[in-house]
Amino acid sequence: MSDALHLTVNGERHAVRAAPSTPLLYVLRNDLCLNGPKFGCGLGECGACMVLVDGRAARSCVLPVSTLADHEITTLEGLGDGERLDPVQDAFIEEQGAQCGYCLNGMIMTVRGLLNADPAPTREAVVAALDHTLCRCGTHQEILAAACRAAGLAPSAHEGEPSATQGEPSAPKGEKE
Amino acid sequence: MNPISDAQAPDTDKDALRYGVVIRPPVYRLDARAFVCSQLLHVDREALAEEGVTVVADGNFVGVVATSHEAARRAAARLPLRWSTPDRDATAVGPAATDARLRRDYQWPGRLAWGAEPDWVIADFIDGGLRLAGPVASTERLRGELACLLESDPQRIHIDGDAEAGLGRQGSDDAAADAALLARAIGRPVAVRLDPDPYARDAEALARARRLRVSGTADGDDFRVDDDLGYVSVPPLALWLTGRLTENLLRDPDAAALQFTFVQESFLDEVAAALGEDPVALRLRHIKDPRGRQLLKSVADQAAWDHPVENDGGADLVRGRGVAYSHRPSESGDAGSGTRSAWIADVEVNTVTGGVRLSRLVAGQDAGADGPLRPLLDATPLRDTLERKLLGLPSSPPPADDWAAPADRKLPAWRPSSPPARRDAPGTPALSEGVDLSPAVAVVANALYDATGVRFRSPPFSPARVRAALEERARPGKRRWWWAGALAVTGLLATLWPFRPSIAPVARPAANLYSAETIERGRLVAEAGDCAVCHTAEGGTVNLGGRPFETPFGTLYSTNLTPDPDTGIGNWSFAAFERAMREGIGRDGRHLYPAFPYTDFAKISDTDMQALYAYLMAQPAVAAPAAQNELRFPFNIRSMMAGWNLLFHDPAPFKPDPSRSAQWNRGAYLFEGAGHCGACHTPRNLFGAEKGGDARLSGALVDGWEAPALTAASRSPAGWTEQSLFEYLRTGRSDAHGVAGGPMAPVVAGLAELPEDDVRAIAHYVATQMDAPLSDPAQSERAAAVVAASRAAPVGQEAGQRVFEGACAACHENGTATFTSAKQALALNTNLHSQRPDNVIQSILGGVHAEGVAGAGEMPAFVHSLSDRQIVDLVQYLRARFAPGETPWKEVGKTVADLRREHDQQ
Repeated sequence: MSDALHLTVNGERHAVRAAPSTPLLYVLRNDLCLNGPKFGCGLGECGACMVLVDGRAARSCVLPVSTLADHEITTLEGLGDGERLDPVQDAFIEEQGAQCGYCLNGMIMTVRGLLNADPAPTREAVVAALDHTLCRCGTHQEILAAACRAAGLAPSAHEGEPSATQGEPSAPKGEKE
Repeated sequence: MNPISDAQAPDTDKDALRYGVVIRPPVYRLDARAFVCSQLLHVDREALAEEGVTVVADGNFVGVVATSHEAARRAAARLPLRWSTPDRDATAVGPAATDARLRRDYQWPGRLAWGAEPDWVIADFIDGGLRLAGPVASTERLRGELACLLESDPQRIHIDGDAEAGLGRQGSDDAAADAALLARAIGRPVAVRLDPDPYARDAEALARARRLRVSGTADGDDFRVDDDLGYVSVPPLALWLTGRLTENLLRDPDAAALQFTFVQESFLDEVAAALGEDPVALRLRHIKDPRGRQLLKSVADQAAWDHPVENDGGADLVRGRGVAYSHRPSESGDAGSGTRSAWIADVEVNTVTGGVRLSRLVAGQDAGADGPLRPLLDATPLRDTLERKLLGLPSSPPPADDWAAPADRKLPAWRPSSPPARRDAPGTPALSEGVDLSPAVAVVANALYDATGVRFRSPPFSPARVRAALEERARPGKRRWWWAGALAVTGLLATLWPFRPSIAPVARPAANLYSAETIERGRLVAEAGDCAVCHTAEGGTVNLGGRPFETPFGTLYSTNLTPDPDTGIGNWSFAAFERAMREGIGRDGRHLYPAFPYTDFAKISDTDMQALYAYLMAQPAVAAPAAQNELRFPFNIRSMMAGWNLLFHDPAPFKPDPSRSAQWNRGAYLFEGAGHCGACHTPRNLFGAEKGGDARLSGALVDGWEAPALTAASRSPAGWTEQSLFEYLRTGRSDAHGVAGGPMAPVVAGLAELPEDDVRAIAHYVATQMDAPLSDPAQSERAAAVVAASRAAPVGQEAGQRVFEGACAACHENGTATFTSAKQALALNTNLHSQRPDNVIQSILGGVHAEGVAGAGEMPAFVHSLSDRQIVDLVQYLRARFAPGETPWKEVGKTVADLRREHDQQ
C-alpha cells in the first residue's frame, strides 16, 4: 500500500490510502461514503458512475485514483449548495425525469458537465451528450425533457418531434441493451 | 474553488516569465533578388486560448506564448494556420561566358550561423522600453532595427548581450526580435529558445542573401565585379515578416567591405592557383600603394611565408596557409590614406570531422598616412572569434555518455541594473578597438584551399560544410589489410572456444564504496535500460526475476538481479558483471541467451557500466532461486551460444560518429546501448539474431505485441516528426498518434526519469532513422483529414458497430469531450493501420494501463466482458472505419483466441 493520496472532493480535501490503480468510484463510495455515483457496468460504458472532474463529466469507474491528485472532483452530493438544489436537479424533478432512478446520477452529472462547457447548448448537443449514458427503464423522453429544461430549451418532448436529428440516435440509448 | 491552490499562487518576477515559440511560414527565403514568403491567410487566435496560450500574429509573423516552453512548442505544432503558396520564381541564371575571362560566383549568407549553441533570449517590454538579455550582439545596428520593428526610440532599448558583432550576423538577432514582438504583445517578459527550428531554418532561408560575380583576365591583371545582387545586411526576419523593413536598414558599409574583400581576395587566390604563381608575389605585383606593399612584405616575413607548411599530421589532418589583403580608403578619399590590412593564417583541417582550427594567425594593419604601421596585432582574440563564428567550432562537444543535465536549459539571469550596452565605434567592424576585420574571411578560405584543394566560395566554414565539400572530393585511402586480418583471426579463435572460465566470486562491495553521484548515474542507466521491466515478474518484487519470455526456442525466465550472494549477483565482481553485459557470459562461465540484450549493452560506456554495477549492488538483496528455463533441444545447450556470438555479436563499444552532432551521438548511444530499442523493434532471423540492412528497426512481434517500424516504413497515418516523437517518449502520448501501451508503457515510465535533453536526443536519433522532419506544419492538416475520413460508419459492419457503440463510443467518439474521453482519435492510431491486428486485440483484451505515466491513458480490460465473436466483429469494424484505405485483417478470430489464451494464463 502506498502513501496517502490527497483528493479534493466537493471542495474538501481528503487523505486516502489506496493502491494507485484503484478506480475513483470505489474510493468515493467505500472510503468517502458518497453514494451518489453508482456502480453500473464498471467498464465506462453505462455512465451511472459519472462525476465531474474540474467541471467536466467523467466516468469514475475507469479513472485510477492516482491520476486525480491535482483535480477537483464533484459528486452529485456536491452539486447544490446545501440549501438549494442545482438547477439541473430542479429540472429533473419538475419533469419527473426518472423511473427506477439508477441512471439519474449519470444523467444529471452529464447535463451539468455539458452546461459547464456550454451554458446554452442546442437540443442536438444535449442529445449527443446523453447519447452514451444508458437508461434501461425507457424514461428517455422525460429525461430529455428535463435536460432541455435545464439547458433553457423548450422541453417539447411530449408533443411532436422527439428531435431535429434523424431517427435512431436522437434519444439516450438503452433500449438497445 | 480549492482554497489550497489559491494559496499556492505566488506572484513573483519569475512567474511572470512566459515562453515564446515562433512559427515561420512554410515557404520563405531570401534569394539574391527578393524575399519570397507565403502569406498568412488565416490564423485562429482564440484556438488555444482555453489552454492559456496567447497567439501573436503580425503580418506573416506568428508566434505563441505559453507558461512553459514545452506547452508553447506543443501549441505551435497544433495551431491552425492557413498560408498561401508563393509563386515559384525561377531564379535567373547569368549569361553563359563567351570570352576567355575567368568568372566566379561568390555568395554571402544572411546569417553566419543560427547560434553558437542552444541558448535563451529574454525580452521584456515595459512602457515602450525594451530590455533584452541573451547571446545577442549589442550593436547600434540591432538597436536601430528593433526600434524600427517596435516603432520605438532606439535610446529606450537596452541590450544585455555577450556576443560581439563583426564578421557576420547570427540567428540570435532573429530570436531577439521575435522575443521583443512577443513580449510587447503580452506585456510580460518572454523567453525564446535559440533552437535549430526555426533559427537553423532561418539561416538556411537567408543563405543566399548576396551574390557577387567576378570576372578577370587569366593573369589577374584586370578584374571587376560583373554582377552584384542582393542584400549586404539582412535585418532580423521579424522585420521582413511584419513588413516593417525600411530601405535604410539594408545598408552596412562595414559588412559591404568585408564581403567585397572576401570576394576579391578569393578571386585573386584562384587566379594565382590557375597560374601556379605564389599568392603573395601576385599581390605584390598588383598593389600599387607603397605602404600596402611594405605591410604585406613585413607580415609575410613575420609569418615565414617562404617556409611551406609541413603536412605530417597523417591522412586525417591536412594543413594549409593562406593570405589576404585589404585596403579601405578613408572618407577623405586621399590616395595615401585609409586602412591597409594583411593577414596570413595557417589552418589544420580534420578531414574526418571537417573541423578546422586556426593553428596560427599573423595580422598586420597600417592605419594610413596619419596612423601607425602595426605589422603585428594581437592575434589571440581574432583567432578565437574566427574559430567560434566562422569555423563554427563548438566549445567542446559533450561525450555521448554524459548524463549531466546540459547547461543550455538554464535561462540567463535577469540583470535588473544592467549597465548601458557597450557602444561599438561606428564606421569599423570593430572587434577590439580599431581592428579592421576585412581580410578575415578571405584569409581562412584561401588557407582552406591550400590545405584541401577545395575552394569555398561562401562562408561559413563550419565542420558540416567542410566535411560535405571534402566528401565530394573523395580520395582513395590505403588500408592495412594484413594487420586487420591478424586481429580478426585472433578474435575468431577467442570467440569460438565455447568454454569460458568462471570468474571467482567476491564479497558484495561495501555500501559506501561508491559515491551517491555514481549510484544516481547508475540509476539513470538502469532506467534507460529498463532493467526492472524484464527482471520483475508480473506483480512481483522489483528486479527479482522470474518473468517468462516466450521465444520460438522455448520459454526463458529472467533471473534475480538483486545483490543476493546465492541467487542474485551479490558475489559478482565488476569484471564478471561487465563480461555478462558485454559478452553474454555469466560469472560461472555459462553462456547467457540473447533474450538478455547483451548485444546492445556491449555499447554502454565503461563509466556507465561501473555506475550501473554500483547502483545494482546498492539495492536490497532478496533471495529468489531462478526459475528453470524450458528450452527445447538443442537450444538448451548453452555452449552453442559461442557460435551464435561469433556469427551475430559485435562486442565493440559505442563509437560516436564524428560527422554527426553531439545530440545525435547522445541519442544513438542511448538508443543502441542501454536503451536496446532494436531488441524489440528489429525483426530477428531464424537464429533469433537481429536482422541487419533494410530490416533493421523495421518492426517485429515481441511477446504478443507488435513493436512498430521505426524507419520510413512506419505506418503512422499522420506521420512522425522529431517533435511528436519527443512528446510521445516524454509524456506517453502524442496528439497525432496515440498513447504508449503494452510493453512500451514501462519504457516511457523509465524515460520519464531521464533528463529532458536525453529524451530529446533519442527522439532526434529516431527521427533520423525515420527520415522524419523536425516538425511538419502539414502534420495537423493531414491528421485532421484522416480523422474526417473516419466519421462515417462503414457498411456491413453492423455487428461490430453495435459492440463499439455500447463498449467503446462513450470514450472514443469525439462528439462531446468529457474528462475520460480518449483524447487521441482512433483514426490516427498506428495500430489500426498496421498489417497485424495484434496490438488492437491486446489493447481490447487487457486494456491500456500506462502505470507510471500520468494521464497517458486508462482503458479497462474487456477480456471478461466481450466474447471472441464480439471482439472479432469489433476489430473488423475498427479497421473498416478508422483505416478505410487498408485491407481487412485476416484470421482475426485465430489471433483473438491465441491472445486470449495468453491472458488467461497470466
